[in-house]
Formats: sequence, structure tokens, C-alpha cells
Amino acid sequence: MKVTYGKAIGDALKEEMRRDSKVLIYGEDIAEFGNIFGLTRGMLEEFGPKRVRNTPITETAIIGSAIGAAETGLRPCVELMYSDFTTVCFAEIFHCVAKWRYMHGPEYKLPLVIRNASGSSNGAGSEHSNCVESLFMHAPGLTIVTPSCAYDAKGLLKSAIRSDNPVLFCEPKLLYQSKQEIPDDIYNSDYTIPLGVADVKRQGTDVTLVAIGLMVPRALEAAEKLAAEGISVEVVDPRTIAPLDKDTIFNSIRKTHRAAIVEESNKTSGIGAEFAAMFQEELYDELDGPITRIAALDVPMPYNIPMEHYSIPSVDSICKAIRAMF
Amino acid sequence: MSYEKDFLEKIYKDLLETRMLEEKLVEIYAEGKVPGHIHSGVGQEASYVGVLATRKPGDYFKIGHRVIAATCVLGNPLDTFFGEILAKKTGNAGGRGGVNHTGRLCDGILGMSGTLGCDAGISVGAAMTIEAEGRDNVSYFFVGDGASNRGPVYEAMILAADWKLPVVFVCIDNGFGISTPSSYSSPKDTILAARADGFGMPSVVVDGTDPLAVYEGATKMVEYTRAGNGPSVIECKCYRWRGHFEGDQCAYRDASVTEKNIAERDCVKNFEQLLMEQGIKTAEDIARQRAEFDQAMNESIARSEAAPEMTPEEIYDYLYV
Repeated sequence: MKVTYGKAIGDALKEEMRRDSKVLIYGEDIAEFGNIFGLTRGMLEEFGPKRVRNTPITETAIIGSAIGAAETGLRPCVELMYSDFTTVCFAEIFHCVAKWRYMHGPEYKLPLVIRNASGSSNGAGSEHSNCVESLFMHAPGLTIVTPSCAYDAKGLLKSAIRSDNPVLFCEPKLLYQSKQEIPDDIYNSDYTIPLGVADVKRQGTDVTLVAIGLMVPRALEAAEKLAAEGISVEVVDPRTIAPLDKDTIFNSIRKTHRAAIVEESNKTSGIGAEFAAMFQEELYDELDGPITRIAALDVPMPYNIPMEHYSIPSVDSICKAIRAMF
Repeated sequence: MSYEKDFLEKIYKDLLETRMLEEKLVEIYAEGKVPGHIHSGVGQEASYVGVLATRKPGDYFKIGHRVIAATCVLGNPLDTFFGEILAKKTGNAGGRGGVNHTGRLCDGILGMSGTLGCDAGISVGAAMTIEAEGRDNVSYFFVGDGASNRGPVYEAMILAADWKLPVVFVCIDNGFGISTPSSYSSPKDTILAARADGFGMPSVVVDGTDPLAVYEGATKMVEYTRAGNGPSVIECKCYRWRGHFEGDQCAYRDASVTEKNIAERDCVKNFEQLLMEQGIKTAEDIARQRAEFDQAMNESIARSEAAPEMTPEEIYDYLYV
């Protein structure tokens, strides 16, 4: 069956709520409205108003209440609508969610998930187009997940809901409508994908391209083009950005001896900055050349759509950056 | 209201032990034993003890950064309390959290944020669990006059009100947010009580230095909330005897007002007077009770000082399950 990324998210929520009565979802406009992207449509009818709840515009209380509910026995999967809105409850995520168990002791488990729709989406502008993973990589204690396809989205969200650690779950909104062919029996098999395990999306021998979220399909398309030019690109999707599956990524670099990172967020202090520093610290002897970072320009996302597209990596700009490594 | 002797003795025990713990924290801080800061709650004990006397098993508590000894009223063992404050492995977080983070979830203590006010929603979430499980418990959120100005407190109040959840918002107005008088931050004489109506919540304002007045006012609000009517507000008026933290010389306030509060509004001394007048305690009983608890504290501190500290091998423990 052809499954969209958005449907996979909705199905993961429904299946987990059917499996475990302690799971509940809440956030702004998720009940009658069914989420602004339609992902939770029908859930209010199936699960009722206590488990599918609209909130007023109260992000700090959404996150705070998720902590209180999680530590006392529920498994909240809350939604912040746009990832950009993590910044209005930054302290609650950065100080409370991430540090709660460390600060208070092992009794204080937080089985909660914070879903957010991230990245660009054609004219959403500077405050509705951000990727926030790198902001929260600075908060030990958080698990950060960004799936790049429908299959991964479903399996990872189910694992996130079942995890006793708090998970920031980033969903690139340009992927919501992307379709993937998944056999029915597999899709409906209650499969999960473990957190903290990267996936090699394409085998290659010349360069390891670590791609995140929306950049994974673009990296795969770029790899196809580059293969025709004689450059064999291995595309690795970390899927879980923190804690990172270093083994899978490092093994790839040990094979290819070249590394590049492509992400949708700004280059400065981005995911690529951290990964590049890590690679040169830990794999210096394996590298045959400098590490390449491919990322958004350091500008607020322009509202003008051609300039929005220009500011984030495209298949062409990825190809260009990889060619320059040889 | 008339009270049973046992109830008055329990109030006194909680009041006295909270006072003695808060004084002990000042003492061991001055001795250089505490790695962090102490925000002494001396003088404010009755606000906590009076409200907490309305609790029942299964309730949840978000305690404030001042009067952390209230966690011991709720069951936090002395060794866990001093262990965490002295940053030892015997503390609830093994010394990772510190003075603002002592307590145990098994006692209903939800934890607290050192970024005051960020934890308001946490009390709302605990109330969601109470609702989901169909219990008649309540979730208490204690906050000072200073953090009462923060947005997260009001986001939590509106969410609790919208969902009619059993949260009791307790504002303890000790007169100062560090150096800023609460009269400066609030355009009215009261703080959360004045704003409660906007959230559709009933409120009471009580003398936070009189444990029975606190208990009586709190009982009205807690009964209302426990009965499923939604959240409510209690505002306790008291006075911060000491500085924001130990070492604060309080140059920003009139020392004679402080002296007057200490002389006239000492909740422990006044309650002892009441108990002696009613023939419930003699001066000797009180002296003995004080000596016994002082010994218990000193023994706990000695054990805590001798306890091991976490090692570099353990620094990542509790980060991920």
C-alpha cells in the first residue's frame, strides 16, 4: 500500500492508544479540528475527549502538564503544532523535561513525547519554518528523533511512545504528503523501530552523506545522480539524533573515508557543526579530506518562496557540494 | 473551630520540625557544609503546614524553593533530605539535583524547577492522572509572590480551569521576590487571589503565620477542589525573615519591619503559647521535643557527612532510563 508520512503518524498514535489506555494526546487544535495538518482526524470520535484533548494556547502548560502526567503514570504524547513554538516553552523542555529525572532521581521517569511539525513548507515564513533539533542537542536527557519516511515515522513514533525517556519528535512538514510503498502485512504488523539506531538508506563506497529528515530523500536523489557521474554515495539517516548511533555512522566513514552532513536547519551551530567536530575528533585518521557541511543559509527563512528554496539545500546544491569533495 | 488534641499536636510537630530544619540549613550553610545556596524559609512554616494539613494519601505536591523542609512533613526521610542537600549518594538524586530538588515521588512530591514557575504545569499534569484514575485527590502547587508574576503560572491556571482539574494553587506571599516587594509587583493587595476570579476560581486569603487560620481557609478551597468543582486559590500572607539567600544583607528593606514581624508573627512561638494556654504542652514538653528532634537532625547530618559522594563513573546515571 501507498502510505503518506502523515497517515503513518496518525496510525502510530491510534495503534498506541488502542494498545495502552495510559496513552493520551493533547495540544492545540487536535480534537475536533484534527490537527492543522489533519493528522489526528477521527481520533476524538474513537478515543473520546479525555484522551484526545484540545488545549488553549498554553505551550508552557502543555509541556509542564506532560511532565506531571508522565511522572505520575500516564504516557502523554503532546503536540506543539509548529516546531518553532518549542521556543516559547524552551525552559520547560530544556530545564524540566530534559533534566527532571537527573535532578530528582531514578523514580522520576518521564514517558512523554513532544511532537512538532518542523522545517520549511513553502512560504510559512521565518517563525513557522525552523528545524530545532540542534537547539535541543544541547540538552542531555532528551531523545531527539526526526524520521525521514512513512515507514520510519510509524515505527519510531511507536517506540517513542513506549519509551520511558522523554522524546522530542520532529516531523518535517514537507514530508507529510510524501508517499511510500509499504507491504500491507508489514505496515499493519505492529512493528517498531528502535530509538538510537541509524539506518543506511543507500550503500556507497566513496563518501558517507549523513542526511536528516527532509534532506534524506534529497540526498538519495542526489546520490542517484552522482552515481551516474561515478561517485558512489552512502546515505546514512541517523533517525535518532540524540543519543546518536555513532557505530553505524562511524562504520560507514571507516569504509568511505569521506564525510558530509546535510540538514535543513542553519549551518552555524547546526547538527552538521556538531557531527563534523565529532568526526574529526574521533575519526581523524580515517578521513581522506575535510568534512563538508551542507545546510541552510544563515538567514531567517525568507517568506519569498524562490528565496526560501534557495536558502535550504536542494538536490542540485547537494550534488555540487559532494562533487567538490573529489 | 475547635480541634482535637492530636490534631494540634500534629500541627505543632510539623511546625516545629519544619522550623528546626530550616534553621539547621542556615547553620550548616554557615559552617560551609552546603555546596549550593540556602533560601531560608524561617518564619513561613505555618503557610505550608496549615495547607498540608488538608492533604490525604494519594495527593500530589509541587513544593517551592523556600521551606524545602516541607518535603519532610510529607515523608521525605531526614537522611534523604540532608543527603541531597549535602550532595551525597544517599540523597534522592545522589547529589545531582541539590537543595531545590529534594523529595521522593513515592511521597507524592512531583519535583520542582529551579527556574521558578516553569513547574506550574506539572501540577496540572498530576491532576490529569488523578482525573484519569477517578480518584478524589488534589494536586497542590506552591508558588511564591515573585514567581507568581510568571506566564507559565497563568498558562497552568487557565489549562486547569478549562479542564476543571483538581489543582490547588497556593501563593505564599512573603513580601519579597529577592529584593522586589510584592506590593511593587502586584497592583492590588493580593496576588493570585486577586487574579483568581479571571480564571473562574474561588480564593481565600489567610494569615500565613497562623497555622489554624491557614488550615481553615485552605480546607474550604481543598474541599471545593476535591469535590470535583475545579481548581482554587489559597493566598498566604507571611514575611520572609531572612534574605533571599544566605548572605543577603537585606539592605533594600526596613529592618524595623523585619524585627516587628519576627517579634509578633512567629508562628512557632505563638503556637507554643496556644498549646501551653490550653494545657496541651508544658514548657518542659516543648524543650524535650526540641532536644529530641535536634538530636535526630544532628545524627542524620553526621551520617550524611560520612556518606559517599558520586564518582565520575556515575555522572551519567539517571540521564537515560
